[in-house]
Amino acid sequence: MSDKGPRRFAGIVLLLLKLRAVLVLGILLLAFSILTPSFLTANNLSILAKHVAISAILAVGMTFAVLAGGIDLSVGSVAGLAGMVAGGLLTIGIGGHISGVAVAVGAALLVSVLVGLLNGVLVSELGVAPFIATLGTLYIARGAALLLSHGKTFPNLAGTAAHGSTGFSILGQSFVLGVPLPVWLMILIAALAILVATRTPFGRHVYAIGGNVRAAKLAGIRVERVKLLTYCFSSLCAGLVGLIIASQLESAHPATGESFELNAIAAVVLGGTSLMGGRGSIGGSLIGAFVIGVLADGLVMIGVSEFWQIVIKGVVIVMAVTVDQLQTKLQARMISAPPRRDPARVAV
Amino acid sequence: MRMTRAIACTGLFLLAGCRAKDSRPLVAIVVPSQDNPYFKAEADAAAARALELGYRVRVDAHDDDAYRQDNLVDAAIASDAKILILDNAGTDASISAVRRATRAGIAVFLIDREITARGIAKAQIVSDNDQGARLVAEEFVRSMHADKAERSDYVELLGRESDTNAQVRTAGFHAVLDKYPALTMVAAQSANWSQAEAFSKTETMLQAHGEIRGIIAGNDTMALGAVAAVKSAGLKSVKIVGFDGSPDAVATIESGEMQATALQPAVLISRIAMNEADAFLKTGSTGKPEIQVIPCELVVKKNADMYSNFEKKK
Repeated sequence: MSDKGPRRFAGIVLLLLKLRAVLVLGILLLAFSILTPSFLTANNLSILAKHVAISAILAVGMTFAVLAGGIDLSVGSVAGLAGMVAGGLLTIGIGGHISGVAVAVGAALLVSVLVGLLNGVLVSELGVAPFIATLGTLYIARGAALLLSHGKTFPNLAGTAAHGSTGFSILGQSFVLGVPLPVWLMILIAALAILVATRTPFGRHVYAIGGNVRAAKLAGIRVERVKLLTYCFSSLCAGLVGLIIASQLESAHPATGESFELNAIAAVVLGGTSLMGGRGSIGGSLIGAFVIGVLADGLVMIGVSEFWQIVIKGVVIVMAVTVDQLQTKLQARMISAPPRRDPARVAV
Repeated sequence: MRMTRAIACTGLFLLAGCRAKDSRPLVAIVVPSQDNPYFKAEADAAAARALELGYRVRVDAHDDDAYRQDNLVDAAIASDAKILILDNAGTDASISAVRRATRAGIAVFLIDREITARGIAKAQIVSDNDQGARLVAEEFVRSMHADKAERSDYVELLGRESDTNAQVRTAGFHAVLDKYPALTMVAAQSANWSQAEAFSKTETMLQAHGEIRGIIAGNDTMALGAVAAVKSAGLKSVKIVGFDGSPDAVATIESGEMQATALQPAVLISRIAMNEADAFLKTGSTGKPEIQVIPCELVVKKNADMYSNFEKKK
């Protein structure tokens, strides 16, 4: 009876820890609305969501890889590569023949998935540690992006009617029902990912592999194939992000997406997904991406200097990981101390 | 085993291939990056001039990392380079690397950025960032009619704040802008020279501050990011100026979406450096002072067709 109070308290703490990203997001939204009157306007929220969509789409893709016990460091480079592939096809084309938007977008996404496939093969077939394999493809993809244009930017992706290459700017610049298209894409991908993660055998397999890869294998899960697919999906998301950015700027720059992987990982961790795999959620990563995005935009709006922005972002990430450890420990303690355990009897 | 041996043999053959006799003296060109049009243009110009003058050329990038620059200098020493054309990775951080190269008998010519030490490099040829910044700022004032208007709010996009050029340029901007009481800087943010970052930060700043009439950016890539953001916000009359004279910016100035930029004569500087390096090897002297400052040129809609890839068309 006597330990019921502390247990309930621990339960509440655990709940708060689990909801930490939501809490932090709420606090940030409140703080910035007070500090800047124009923060909580429909227009600004729409722009904010558009900025968040970039890291959110990356984070959703990354979540599957992390849940399965991996990580994908190559996403930023893949985003850059995808933009360059599309940019090259739209402005120079192949053999003097300039491609249409559909071909350019399709080719860019295909190249992205190929990088994911390479990641998957390296990790699941050849047994390379995910950190190393995707670090390698990070460099390969970035180098390939630079090689495509010899380091130059592809400008004027707006296209020309004569080549039938107009319309690329729709992807990043258009609105549907007053909401930017990239935001719709984020919602669509997140919804799809939540569905896959929670309602399909594939989703359960991902969690099982991250929880205990040996057990998953013994249970008959095709571990290799599942891992391969997580990397392909992550790269696909990264490719889409690269296309959105190129479309927004109407130009493709080979250095686009540098250090994006870190933002994505930060969002995933903030959202409560364990870097050890097996525990976490897509929704969490989405909220994590919003925390990072709100923080970044809010600090710009109130005019905080770049240096402090970097420090504050770092503090938030470190705090998130610390809290994550706390949650893991607390959970472990609750499991190892079942309610009806009698310490006296155990001691005897 | 056999596989390893095969790979080792192929490697050796490749090495042997690379070591084919080439008696031309080596020029090592080290620039910050090759994915930035400005650094690319300066590297290309130096390499082209070196080849014309009968040298062998190697181009590397240090990614603004002084440690990486150190390694590249070591590589230049090891491969017995005669000339090092260097756009360095930091005013103070690069001194030891330049000194080491000089001691090893390499003639070092610094382009684009100075180091604080004198008498080590054979020459330091830089564009006048302060003068260029003032030129752009004056055009910015003219385009906003700030000398007449009652109040003109503007924002500034700064380069990477640890970079000397970012500091010199913003100081040059403010030496002019702060003289006009009508001009009010409502926000200043670093976008780290990046277009994507400038795009999102400008979008956010446009939200935070209602009546922004001008955006002054520390380089052209950031100015182009601001152009995209202003376009996406549906604003028409915001005046935007940049710095560098990149081909994309010059084209944007021609189209009227951007007002001005200061063209840094990167190609000219590289050619001067290579010419003086050649003279130094042949005569033992460059015949010029160590510090040479080349003025920037103002590019506006009227004269934009006269400039391409960081040089004035002939």
